[in-house]
Amino acid sequence: MKGTDGLACRAAALGAVPLAGERGKACLRLLSPEDIFFYAAAGEMGETALRECGLPHEIVWHPGKISSAEDTKSACRAFLERNVDLILFCGGDGTARDVAEASEGKPLLGIPAGVKMHSGVFAVSPQAAAKLATGFVRGEFKLRETEIADVDEDLYRSGELSTRLYCTALTPYQPVLVQERKRIYLSHSEENFKEEIALFASEFMRDGSAYILGAGTTTAKIAEVLGLEKTLLGVDVIKDGKLLARDATERELLAIVEREKQVKIIVSPIGAQGFILGRGSQQISSKVVERVGEENLIVISTPHKLAELSRLIVDTGDELMDRRIAGKRLVVTGYRSAQRKETAAAATINLSNEILPGL
Amino acid sequence: MKIKYLLDEEEIPKKWYNVAADMPTPLDPPLHPGTLKLMQPSDMEMIFPKALIRQEMSTDRWIDIPEEVREIYRLWRPTPLYRAAALERALKTPARIYYKYEGVSPAGSHKPNTAVPQAYYNMKEGVERLATETGAGQWGSALAMATCLFGLKCTVYMVRSSFDSKPYRKSAMRVWGAECLSSPSDKTNFGRKILAEMPDTPGSLGIAISEAVEDAASNDDTNYSLGSVLNHVLLHQTIEGQELKKQFELADDYPDIMFGCCGGGSNFPGMAFPFIPDKLKDRKDLRMVACEPAACPSLTQGLYAYDFGDTAGMTPVIKMYTLGHDFIPPSIHAGGLRYHGAAPLLSNLVHEGLIEATALLQTEVFQAATMFARSEGIIPAPESAHAIKPAIDEALRCRQTGEAKSIFISLSGHGHFDLSSYDAYNDGKLVDYEYPADLVRQSLARLPKP
Repeated sequence: MKGTDGLACRAAALGAVPLAGERGKACLRLLSPEDIFFYAAAGEMGETALRECGLPHEIVWHPGKISSAEDTKSACRAFLERNVDLILFCGGDGTARDVAEASEGKPLLGIPAGVKMHSGVFAVSPQAAAKLATGFVRGEFKLRETEIADVDEDLYRSGELSTRLYCTALTPYQPVLVQERKRIYLSHSEENFKEEIALFASEFMRDGSAYILGAGTTTAKIAEVLGLEKTLLGVDVIKDGKLLARDATERELLAIVEREKQVKIIVSPIGAQGFILGRGSQQISSKVVERVGEENLIVISTPHKLAELSRLIVDTGDELMDRRIAGKRLVVTGYRSAQRKETAAAATINLSNEILPGL
Repeated sequence: MKIKYLLDEEEIPKKWYNVAADMPTPLDPPLHPGTLKLMQPSDMEMIFPKALIRQEMSTDRWIDIPEEVREIYRLWRPTPLYRAAALERALKTPARIYYKYEGVSPAGSHKPNTAVPQAYYNMKEGVERLATETGAGQWGSALAMATCLFGLKCTVYMVRSSFDSKPYRKSAMRVWGAECLSSPSDKTNFGRKILAEMPDTPGSLGIAISEAVEDAASNDDTNYSLGSVLNHVLLHQTIEGQELKKQFELADDYPDIMFGCCGGGSNFPGMAFPFIPDKLKDRKDLRMVACEPAACPSLTQGLYAYDFGDTAGMTPVIKMYTLGHDFIPPSIHAGGLRYHGAAPLLSNLVHEGLIEATALLQTEVFQAATMFARSEGIIPAPESAHAIKPAIDEALRCRQTGEAKSIFISLSGHGHFDLSSYDAYNDGKLVDYEYPADLVRQSLARLPKP
């Protein structure tokens, strides 16, 4: 079975293991009742696990017999009424989307328990989620803006793998490299790095070229610094500080490439797997990259995000091109600073194992 | 095969060699930071002793080393020249590899070569305290030791990223009686300003220099001391290269190619400059290569232009290869090489084509350092290891071509205070920072005109 979004009922009928409960408890057990008071939905949606872990709580929502996406959203709305500080949820990308949709910008933290976890709100493990939640309520960790992404399940069922960005959300994070040793330089907040990258980009983008900007919050920051409004989930084109095209389709991009003397592409890794092309920004197709020239591809990323990825992946659909782009690529990570990062062609790694573990 | 080439204490040079006397084109003069007019010796008297200002301006080829300074040099000088026989075997190369090891000094690097005379001249002119900055802590330790030997007080502004990652450098400075502060600090106006604007900053050498200069300029009993970049610092370091020439004579050999790491420039010029007269006369094929980090590549990617030596714009404006005084290099593990510019004397010779430069990524540098440690035993400082990587590459090229070249590595210090960096390398946690030179050039090409 491929994913369970919208098919919860069927999944239950087929006897899928209710993993969420166990994963959730693995996190909750590590939380201290002195630190956190919980508002929760009744029964399997939270109450049972909280009671078993001895955590103080109040029930604010009673779901139907078989809980649905609507229950998730309704529960979130009830949490908002209580003015909670953080919404801790257990599930996968589908749940993350439902929670993000209903939570009106409240900070979110996902205990990973779904089959698909492309969204940046998920901790790497239930134990890590506990650490993050505790650090956040104690004021030790900051928040960062991250992307809520999901595999397009309809396409996936028809055999095509495609990730989409849905929206953004705030989530607490512990700068990963700080854990290694006490080097405070990377506790620099991720937002600062986005601003540094955007400032640098706004300077090198003054060269008269048209710039195709891929999706995501890092690229969106560039537009913000330039005083433009970017479509977060789409692809925009900027030239000389002006918006040339908004939410452009592949065809529009090709027309611009045809028309403009010099075109460059700026993309940022999307999702937890590190796709720079082919996911999230499908409009920037292999044809577009071909005409622009891969030497005009500029990759940007915060050092935090880069540190979480073992390598970047390029998947334009044209294997030869992917292999040309692959290798140790320069990634802009701050104001006038960059890193070399291993970049792999999608065809050379077993993606289905990595992207949809357990499927 | 003979492994060590040792000189007697009496062979410690009696004079420093001043390359300014032999340069094909004279050095462009430093400018006053406020007026941008020619800097006068009196402009520097607020922070430097007269003897050092004279050396800074001198074009005399030889300058006497005071006997009191030579007495202290005896504690560890002359330093040994080694034949890296085990490394040659490991590389299966016909090349002959040599290295001169400056890590035998009490502070563990070449830095005391200039710290000692600087402390001496300040003491002679009645200065009570020296203020300085330090990147990796090598310079701060060296000056702490030197001031302690001459009875001066010492305040060291240590770049915050190193202050936090190398606690034992601080401990060493404390043993020698110095005060070591994390920079930016709340002791100076500039430090407080930076802290207010960027509370999370990793700090940089440029910021720390500004703090130390401010400290010296605002206290009558205090002078400033710099461990690289300035002419007199490079002058003092030439005892390395002078010893080396004698040691190569002992080995009945002469280098074909020399590698030394380079941040602001002190160890590399100290090693290379005494060879410049040879290069200009009968050793035209001699190659001298300055090795810098790809994260901060001033010589290979910088502009040759007038720029400030520090972030705040308080130091003289000097002609050098620079990435811009506002550039804060990423926190690579070779903290001693995180400087936006390169010494004017060195920059001039690179510009003239007498000295070459190359830039390296830190992962390949640590890989080479590990290979060195596993054959020669010594664990190099990450800074010094920048010279090892290209030397190994050259030796491997010799294996392919069959050439028996003579390759020299300047091993400027040990890595005993850098073991957490080696851990990061061994855990696969090193990040390869690189300066995006093309994009920076692109960003500078069409800057809005005022």
